[in-house]
Amino acid sequence: MTQSNQPEPLNKLVHDARAPLNRISMNAELIKLVLENDMPKEKALEALNKIIVNCQQCSESLQQIVDSQ
Amino acid sequence: MLNILLVDDDVEFSDVVCHIVEFLGHNISTATSLKEAHQWFENNTFDHVLLDFMLPDGSGLHLLDHLKIIGQSPKITLISGHPSVKGILADMCEPNIGHLLKPLQREDLELVLNGPKKVAVKKAKTSGITRHFGSLIGESEPMQKLYNMIERVAKTNANVMLMGESGAGKEVVAQAIHNASQCEGPLVASNCGALSKELIGSELFGHEKGAFTGAIARKEGVFEQSNDGTLFLDEVTEMPIDMQPNLLRVLETKKVTRVGGNKEIPTNCRVISATNRSLEDLAQNNVIREDIYFRLAVFPIDIPPLRDRKDDIPLLAKAFLDQLNDENGTAFSWTAAQLKELQSYEWPGNVREIRHAIHRAFIMSDPKSGEVTLPDNLESPFSRVNNQATDNAVSAGQTIEEVEKELIHATLDKVQGNKTLAAQMLGISTKTLYNRLNAYGGIGEYK
Repeated sequence: MTQSNQPEPLNKLVHDARAPLNRISMNAELIKLVLENDMPKEKALEALNKIIVNCQQCSESLQQIVDSQ
Repeated sequence: MLNILLVDDDVEFSDVVCHIVEFLGHNISTATSLKEAHQWFENNTFDHVLLDFMLPDGSGLHLLDHLKIIGQSPKITLISGHPSVKGILADMCEPNIGHLLKPLQREDLELVLNGPKKVAVKKAKTSGITRHFGSLIGESEPMQKLYNMIERVAKTNANVMLMGESGAGKEVVAQAIHNASQCEGPLVASNCGALSKELIGSELFGHEKGAFTGAIARKEGVFEQSNDGTLFLDEVTEMPIDMQPNLLRVLETKKVTRVGGNKEIPTNCRVISATNRSLEDLAQNNVIREDIYFRLAVFPIDIPPLRDRKDDIPLLAKAFLDQLNDENGTAFSWTAAQLKELQSYEWPGNVREIRHAIHRAFIMSDPKSGEVTLPDNLESPFSRVNNQATDNAVSAGQTIEEVEKELIHATLDKVQGNKTLAAQMLGISTKTLYNRLNAYGGIGEYK
């Protein structure tokens, strides 16, 4: 059973698309903490980069859902 | 500080959660599978487990069974991306198990980790101080009278005018009346003194799109916003007098027309207005039209200045300090001597001034000592200016001679004893000034 000839079930695909969103929201919360408490800005930058990567990932996952229909 | 185990297969997600939980002051360990979680429990105990529902080697619920077998009962919060899990949990009826929905928010995390504890502390702390109608603090006689009035007026829909010195708490009383009246609508506050003549109409009554340059969209005025609720008009006596007829019309007809509009919109709100001017001042200086006054002040309430209810100062001081302690996670307390010192001062700026003084002292205090450091002098620069002003004030019962003497001395003080300058300012000759000073018993300190 390979993935190419058997499409993944929708809820699995949605689960995969949610994962980057969860990371994005947690990283955003971390940035809020950094800003509110005058912590080193490197931490915030690192979190922002992760958000950007995860946005792309989420977009790809959504495209997969479209393709699977 | 809690010992927390986070079980989630998303390593990146776990990593960020770790940062946040550590910042909240807890110890956190992570596991990416049930197997790893089991290993953690072999040699450790945890206070709280944050548990993902779907794990690579099984469901999070399997860990619950495992914990039962090994006889551990940490608090569990299941984390899932699916709302239906909540239903499953409800069926299980386990009080020790909570649920959070992904994406998580920091506040939710804080709540499940610190929540009940913090609330308990808060309750214990504030239990000694009653907040009447959810906002007012004080048990003195003038306040009891005030509570009585608030209770009575809250049952009616009469308009209230609050009179009291600056800082006495007019907005807080407005909130108390609003709370006590249990109306459906919101409390909307607007400061009439802060608005320009051009804007006040639009602020109070709203405007239609295109009513004037810059009116790019329709706007509801505060009368409409506070429908079925309470409208608080602060500094109502500072409203330009030529705008007052418009206000009177709304108060009389209970209908409002937006600027540039032609439809009358019914409004149903209680208007609470406030002023820091005295009744005599209102009558003498023509700051408010008589007809408006009668509409607004159906039920006038005087808010006592803080110097007339000094018994409440310890309560207020404790309440403000508790609040600051809560916000900053500190544990300062007052000594009896400090409370006495606060009580002995006149507080011309009323509750606002004491609050400011306490906040300042709080910032200046050393958290290690646990005691607030009060400044040597509680007076604010404003109260000093006010004191001087009242020192020079003329009051009935003084003789003309006394007032004249006071004026001459005040003028000489101002010009550092220069008699030529003082005589000029007073509009008399230098010779007359000397004569007067001699008559008061010599030139003395002004030689």
